[in-house]
Amino acid sequence: MAQEMREGIYDLLAARGVSRRDFLKYCGSVAAMLGLSEMAAPQIAAAVEGGAKLQPAVWLDLGLCTGCTESTAQAGNPNVADIVLDLLSINYMETIMAAAGDQAEEAKAKTIEEGGYILIVEGTVMTGEGGNTLRIAGKTGMEVLKEAASKAAAIVAVGSCAVDGGWVRANPNPAGGKGVKDVAVELGFDKVPIINLPTCPVNPEWIVAVVIDVLMLGALENLAVLNLDELGRPKLIFGQTIHDNCPRRGHFENGEFVKQFGTVEEVKQFCLYEVGCKGPQTFTNCPKVRWNRKASWCVESGAPCIGCGNLNWVDNDAPFLKRMPNVGGVRPETIGTVLGGAAAAGLLVHGVASFSSGRAKGAPVETSKAYDKKKGGDK
Amino acid sequence: MSHEGHYREAHPLIFVFQHWVNLICMAGLAFSGFVIHGSFYAISMGGARMIHFTLMFVLAVNITSRIILSFWVKDANQLGTREVDTDIKNWLPQKENKHQLLETAKYYLFMRKERVISAKYGALQKIAYLATVPITFFMGYTGFALYGPAQQWPVWGFFAGGISLVGGIMTMRIIHYFGMWVVILFTMVHAYLAAIDGFKAFYGLIFLWRESPGAEEGH
Ligand code: SF4
Ligand code: SF4
Repeated sequence: MAQEMREGIYDLLAARGVSRRDFLKYCGSVAAMLGLSEMAAPQIAAAVEGGAKLQPAVWLDLGLCTGCTESTAQAGNPNVADIVLDLLSINYMETIMAAAGDQAEEAKAKTIEEGGYILIVEGTVMTGEGGNTLRIAGKTGMEVLKEAASKAAAIVAVGSCAVDGGWVRANPNPAGGKGVKDVAVELGFDKVPIINLPTCPVNPEWIVAVVIDVLMLGALENLAVLNLDELGRPKLIFGQTIHDNCPRRGHFENGEFVKQFGTVEEVKQFCLYEVGCKGPQTFTNCPKVRWNRKASWCVESGAPCIGCGNLNWVDNDAPFLKRMPNVGGVRPETIGTVLGGAAAAGLLVHGVASFSSGRAKGAPVETSKAYDKKKGGDK
Repeated sequence: MSHEGHYREAHPLIFVFQHWVNLICMAGLAFSGFVIHGSFYAISMGGARMIHFTLMFVLAVNITSRIILSFWVKDANQLGTREVDTDIKNWLPQKENKHQLLETAKYYLFMRKERVISAKYGALQKIAYLATVPITFFMGYTGFALYGPAQQWPVWGFFAGGISLVGGIMTMRIIHYFGMWVVILFTMVHAYLAAIDGFKAFYGLIFLWRESPGAEEGH
């Protein structure tokens, strides 16, 4: 049976143009992401090969743009990651499932009833208008989430929207967008472990890493395996800044910056810090794992990191081509300079007044305190 | 007397030295900070950061030792006198400062003509000088909070707590940036007031440890 499975997987891989060698290499890169040595590659391969343990999963779509689905499905050029993701037996996923209507809802209800599934949530929890800013199959998005979350073995919030509301919750947030974790207590699933995978959209490699953790390392039995930080993000993926792993870091250290696009500095691929790169305060491993089947990533393709892996990233990071966000609609640099300028002007006026009043030459000291005088006493 | 004498007892040599250290550190920190913020000057970021770091440590040690020394070193307790008292007493509010905060503000706003009775330092001055201590340490804290995440220090939780309190590392960056402006504004006002009250005498004493005699009223 196992042998059959194994052969089955290699057939699948071969059909997708992936050799065993490529497969093992990929498993090695997953191992690196999980903080394991390359030696763990065969183990990971075995876990994937022995995919008999299909893990039931439900994929919920809340307030979203389907970017995360796009990113994960990466239609058109399937590869090893798909094979791993195939190990999730996704029983419900609005965007790509074949079933529709009642049939689909039944499949979901059945999975929920059986319990022990992984709940993947994509999109913002829309709490506005009593949750009515999002309705699915006659219910509010919040009700749907509550139902699906209650019996899940674990929740994986994929993409910034599900993590903390993402761009949907950016000011003024009329839809009341929130992250899954933010409503866990209110909707009564705070006991279910939540794994947060921010960025906009989510990087499929991270879902692969979590699936491998679940399949191979028994993360569901022992959550410590996931090594989450206080925000529920796997530390191995979100523990270092982009800046610390960026190939342009050398230029940063040398003070070699792109100050404007369309200049020779841009051609030389200098550091993008001065055109707003948020790499120094964004914690993801984008430079190592990269995007789009490891083809490239933001900085490598010439664009500054806009900090999509940060919390409340749009409010915190826009305008994207500036170092810091506006404060009350005004540039912090302008506020600082105006304050400094106003102080200098104020002191100048004060100085002129001090000289013209003769005070600068020395003013007499009062003979008793004004307070004491008022009290009628001496000092 | 309209201009009091400026005697060495007002600023003992060790404090003159420490004042220099403060000045150099703050100027260096502001400059290297501007370079790090958005290098208006193409020098090595690593170099700027190293200077920024070193100066912060020097400043922290300098200020801490300045506080400790203030419990031992004696200096003048009034303007224009050689009579001394423990420095910390001259730092903290004294009897002469009582009920004088508003009056001092009024004097500087030209709402009264006579200078107010104060101890060696006026009420506003004391508030400003005392505030420099928490502001400096606060700047150190926010700075480390910006730098620390990637270092994975064991004490990191101490900074991570602050970051989530203010709502993210970007907010921390802005706070650090405005903190620098607070220091710059303080320095501007501080330098101005010292200058307007007798540039040569004040600056001569605090920078060169040079005494100058007082001048009689109407002189
Ligand atoms: S491009 Fe961005 S992440 Fe890369 S070194 Fe420059 S500032 Fe850091
Ligand atoms: S490099 Fe920055 S903007 Fe690009 S995906 Fe990563 S976190 Fe998002």
